[in-house]
Amino acid sequence: MSPNLRIWVAVKHGVDVGLTRADPATGVVALEGAPRKTSDFDRNAVEEAVRVRERSGGTVTAVSVGPPSAREALREALALGADEAVLFTDPAVPRFDTRAVARALAATCRTLGGFDLLLLGEGSTDHFGGVVGARVASELGVADLAYVRKLTVEPEGVVAERDLEREVEVLSARFPVVVTVGQEINTPRVPTFMSNLKASKKTIRQVGPAEVNLPASSLAPVQTTLRVAVPQVARKQVPLTGNSPDELARELLSRLRDEGVWP
Amino acid sequence: MNTGPVLCYSEEPELAEELLRWTHHQKLSEGAPVAAAVLGALPADLPQRYAAAGAQEVYRLAAEAPAFPEAGVLAEALAIVVREAKPRLVLLASTKRGKQVVGRLAGLLDWPVATGVNELRRDGEAWVLEREALSGNAVSVEQFPGGAAIFALTTGQGPPAAASYPLQIREVTGAFPPSRVERREQRPKGGGGVHLETAERIVTVGRGLKKREDIPMVEALARALNASVGCTRPLAAEAGWFSDDHWIGLTGHRVKPKLYVALGVSGAVQHLVGMRGSRIVVAVNQDPNAPILGQADYRITADLYSLVPALLRALGVPG
Ligand SMILES: Cc1cc2nc3c(=O)[nH]c(=O)nc-3n(C[C@H](O)[C@H](O)[C@H](O)COP(=O)(O)OP(=O)(O)OC[C@H]3O[C@@H](n4cnc5c(N)ncnc54)[C@H](O)[C@@H]3O)c2cc1C
Ligand SMILES: Nc1ncnc2c1ncn2[C@@H]1O[C@H](COP(=O)(O)O)[C@@H](O)[C@H]1O
Repeated sequence: MSPNLRIWVAVKHGVDVGLTRADPATGVVALEGAPRKTSDFDRNAVEEAVRVRERSGGTVTAVSVGPPSAREALREALALGADEAVLFTDPAVPRFDTRAVARALAATCRTLGGFDLLLLGEGSTDHFGGVVGARVASELGVADLAYVRKLTVEPEGVVAERDLEREVEVLSARFPVVVTVGQEINTPRVPTFMSNLKASKKTIRQVGPAEVNLPASSLAPVQTTLRVAVPQVARKQVPLTGNSPDELARELLSRLRDEGVWP
Repeated sequence: MNTGPVLCYSEEPELAEELLRWTHHQKLSEGAPVAAAVLGALPADLPQRYAAAGAQEVYRLAAEAPAFPEAGVLAEALAIVVREAKPRLVLLASTKRGKQVVGRLAGLLDWPVATGVNELRRDGEAWVLEREALSGNAVSVEQFPGGAAIFALTTGQGPPAAASYPLQIREVTGAFPPSRVERREQRPKGGGGVHLETAERIVTVGRGLKKREDIPMVEALARALNASVGCTRPLAAEAGWFSDDHWIGLTGHRVKPKLYVALGVSGAVQHLVGMRGSRIVVAVNQDPNAPILGQADYRITADLYSLVPALLRALGVPG
């Protein structure tokens, strides 16, 4: 292994689910033009990439697949400490789905200098498919360690503690390796005025299918989204008050009795 | 359309059974066989169990699995079975390991994939499915080409048992690839055996609970209300105060009790998706702007540390 770790981190500029608004009548959410931000777990992935570099040396390259506006996520990754950033974009692809993203990420890491460690979020905040990490690893023919909560870099590879529903596993794999993380792995640092200023001066490299040897036709989306809607649940919204906690408690219990949900 | 089977796979037999029952329930096979894939050893009771869940065929990769078959190994082994069985559809469980296998299998086969699928049906020549989107805030209806595809289903929905059919076991020859991952350690996580999906009443706590020592107070309330205890992600995944079977939300369990009491829970969208099916929601939060209060039938702006003891007194629990 080279002493100079090539660390990559994939960041998605996804829909900001806290800011989307549904049509009050139909519940339909318009995703076109919806506010966007860096997908939550990707900030943990960037933080982890930067921590690995701080401990073991190397360079951190952030990569995003999307329209030119995805530069915002890359700009944030730079402000959080990434050294370089690459945007994969292509006006001929109407929408990057899971397959296109996995192919573009794999081809970009492979072509632009290769990688030892590729970090991703274990699921994106808006789509939450949880498959891009494994699919990229499959495309690249390398191991993927998913749902990692603790990551240690050794000379030849990584040791990762990962959290499944019913067990914790400690796994190891040699470089090159793909690792996916969730919010428990770390607390991302907050960009400072200086780090933002520094990031704003860096150039974000832009590539398309030709630069990474992919036919654009292999990126065409497979599925069609027919409708995204928020299920409408009407709640009574009754505020309960009382002159004392005891009075409030009795009031609540009497409501629950009236509703037939207790005892 | 391809006349091959619907092929169900999970390394956890209970989940494979659920996938088989679901396939019958949703009439996904349209006359073609319903099959289960088994990778490596075939436990003696498994054919009987799978037949009782509705399997007509078992495709078994007759080879010895490596000591630790990580997701990449499972996916490559499953791909061998898929090439032999030529299924119209491969169904897996949308668990963490399940999604990892799906991602790898998708890379190997280049078939369309979707995870977190709650509904799936045939619509003319296409597959139409429903999955949660926007962190569970919304439901996305998606159309896929009608050819072979890989879908991972949200489990825990438990459709009824299917009729039992005569079972054919088909041995597939091939070998497991070597594992790229070594397992150094494995620890089961404690679980209290709680099953929140079927609970009638749930008292959930969030980070408004200040310390672990305060959990007995919440448990006492739950007992008095004849309720199970739930929690938010941070209390299970970060603090480790609760095992995962208490965790409610997008990445935890989906519940639909008659009564849901949320104490010191902010109401992030990823939590709300887990409890949206509740009939009556009571929220207790000291911050009048907490989103959970806007999602409640009875909203109480109060300190849980004064309200819970008062509730215990009102319920006659000795303090
Ligand atoms: C992809 C993804 C998946 C996720 N999956 C899940 C999931 O499955 N489940 C889940 O729960 N979360 C999930 N989360 C996390 C979620 O976004 C929130 O961070 C989490 O739900 C917050 O937990 P909380 O309400 O306990 O804590 P906080 O948000 O910190 O809220 C604590 C609340 O307690 C109130 N409070 C404090 N003290 C008191 C008191 N004395 N009395 C009354 N109220 C008090 C505060 O006002 C506050 O509203 C996920 C996040 C992501 C990005
Ligand atoms: N368009 C994208 N650009 C870069 N990375 C992405 C993109 N989409 C998904 N990813 C990465 O893949 C992870 C899992 O995404 P998903 O499979 O959509 O849940 C995310 O947390 C990102 O790290």
